[in-house]
Amino acid sequence: MSSPTALSAEDPLIDLGAYVTGLDRWLAERPECLREVALPAPSFADRVAAMSRLMETLYAAGWSKYGWPEGVGGLGGSILHRAALWDALARHGVPGMALFEHLEVLGPTLVALGPRPFVAQALPKFLGGRERWAQAFSEPGAGSDLANVRTRAVAVDDDYVITGRKIWTSWARYARWALLLARTGTPEARHRGLTAFVLDLHDPGVEVTPIEQANGTDELAEVALDDARVPGDRIVGDVNGGWHVAMHILSHERGTYPWFRHCFLYGQLRDGLERARPEHDQALGNALLDLAATTAASRAALRAQAAGSLLGPRAAFTKLLLCEAERATSDWVLANDADLAIGVQEDDVAVHRQEYLFSRIVTIYGGSQQMQLNTIAKQVLGLP
Amino acid sequence: MTTIIDGHPSEFVAVAERALGNGNASTALASLGWWQLLRDLDDDESRRALFSVFRAQGRALVNSTALAALLAVPYLDDADLELGTVAAAATRTSPRRGTVHVAVGELVGMRLLVDRPGRGASVMNADRVRLQRIDLPGRLDLHEVHLDESRWRPMIPEDTAARARRQSLALGRVAVALEMLGAAEGALELAAEHARGREQFGQPIGTFQAVQHLLAWAMTDCAAIEAAADAAVASGAALPPRFDEIVKALAGRNARRACERTLQALGAIGFTAEHSHHHFHSRVLALDSLLGTSADLTHALGRWLREEPGDPQLPTALLFPATPDELLVGKEVLKR
Repeated sequence: MSSPTALSAEDPLIDLGAYVTGLDRWLAERPECLREVALPAPSFADRVAAMSRLMETLYAAGWSKYGWPEGVGGLGGSILHRAALWDALARHGVPGMALFEHLEVLGPTLVALGPRPFVAQALPKFLGGRERWAQAFSEPGAGSDLANVRTRAVAVDDDYVITGRKIWTSWARYARWALLLARTGTPEARHRGLTAFVLDLHDPGVEVTPIEQANGTDELAEVALDDARVPGDRIVGDVNGGWHVAMHILSHERGTYPWFRHCFLYGQLRDGLERARPEHDQALGNALLDLAATTAASRAALRAQAAGSLLGPRAAFTKLLLCEAERATSDWVLANDADLAIGVQEDDVAVHRQEYLFSRIVTIYGGSQQMQLNTIAKQVLGLP
Repeated sequence: MTTIIDGHPSEFVAVAERALGNGNASTALASLGWWQLLRDLDDDESRRALFSVFRAQGRALVNSTALAALLAVPYLDDADLELGTVAAAATRTSPRRGTVHVAVGELVGMRLLVDRPGRGASVMNADRVRLQRIDLPGRLDLHEVHLDESRWRPMIPEDTAARARRQSLALGRVAVALEMLGAAEGALELAAEHARGREQFGQPIGTFQAVQHLLAWAMTDCAAIEAAADAAVASGAALPPRFDEIVKALAGRNARRACERTLQALGAIGFTAEHSHHHFHSRVLALDSLLGTSADLTHALGRWLREEPGDPQLPTALLFPATPDELLVGKEVLKR
């Protein structure tokens, strides 16, 4: 099948079945596109570089344009197209998203609430792997208590001048842009005094310091802001409406993102079958149950999103189920491969070891597991 | 007369629960138009309404003929039997007595279908079998079926029965999963109510995070069953490979876990015969033992993945049940 970019307005690939079929065939006919990204690469920078090249290829061929609206670099369709794209990549041996997770975490919010002229020129570069994004929410004093953000943004002429410190800023070292939450109101206004900005991480006044993590990668960073300037037309949502933007993002990060992540957990399971031992069949079965629960719950979230609704507090379920699936899968992988505990000589062992350790932080990022449980207890179960 | 309305699965469940809560289960099934729904299993909306009755049965701790009647459906055409007149026994595996046939629910006026893997299936009047009542909490009517070996004549030969058996198991497993979900939800409602009202240290225990998290996990266990069972019902005949087993295993594991968590939140009062919690818990345990336990199914699924490694088809198959066959070309498609 040829690449879909040249198709007419009556695009048959808007039909999901045709899209999946066409994409599968296209990928099967071009193993060379996937070769580099499928190689085990312990260096995260190498993984980002390889994935960026694959994104460029997929964008040029048109496949990654589906699911995004026309006018911001897309070809129409719904989030189900994107769900199918990443599922297909995982089935064809791509091991993970290597920071393009943010397409699914930040992308929908940029499209829904971002300044349209900016998003129209920035999103195609993101989709095409040429520019990458970070999320700058957390601060040393604002982790689970996100409403406690203290980084300040002060209006000066047509700009905002931003001062403060962000931490755990995911993928900042590799990114050009960050979606940043800063205080435009008083500290007492709590969540009502926050605004979301698009910050250029290459601007003077912005200093990014990568944080080396316990699993050996450097996906997180600290970002110091010293009179960094953001033009007033790079506000996402409304001034003092940052909480709404954050909740929009978290609805995706908790509700639909688990679909994208869990496709690669099926991949880890499949790779682990080479070393599978019968004595761990029960653990393997349990991992399958947790994966299937994530499939089913995130399927419901995707369909709700495709129909135009956000999940609200029930997104917490999908996130918790993903955590369980991640843990069960990596426990089973470790049970069959004791080399992960010690050896890092071979690249594939080193990468699997990183994955195993990473599975232990899934319960921390994107709102800790305990915060998800609080949400369910209070907002769904109605406990006092 | 209650009418099943169009809408979200939870609306179906609420309607069914109200009807079943009014007393007589046979009257409730009739008033819900349930037997007509059984004729329309291929229709998406009918199927959703039909299966919601099982979740409602679990929540209301009600007995009916529904499961036995559903299990019988795939055999009806082969034996020229009329829908609504035949109840099929479920099977369980006993470490002491091997395969045991269990009749679930009300059987008044029904003929009993017994399927014996390897030996075909037969339909018999109540006088041809001995039914031994099993007394256990859970307000679930269970009878062990004792066959007269000398009088066994398969009415449906093994090769025909085997095909019906697969369909019957798939339908039954999803139905039982939903009933376990309902029972776990019933236990959770008791525990949540307790947590809101019971005071210790001068405040409701539901204000303590330890208790909140126990119950939030119990609800997450339930949310997983709901999502998986709803996906199975929505898929209908296009069920992904072994998805009925996945749903049944997940439901058994999670519903048991939810009952354990809710018991912990209830404290000692939940472990008394006087409190209703044990009825929900016992119903879950009994249902988990039918049509493959969660422990056995989970192990079998693990072995299946290990022995027949193919590309994982589940995400795609569940999200796009109508995906053309071309998708599967060149891959090892796992057989149902």
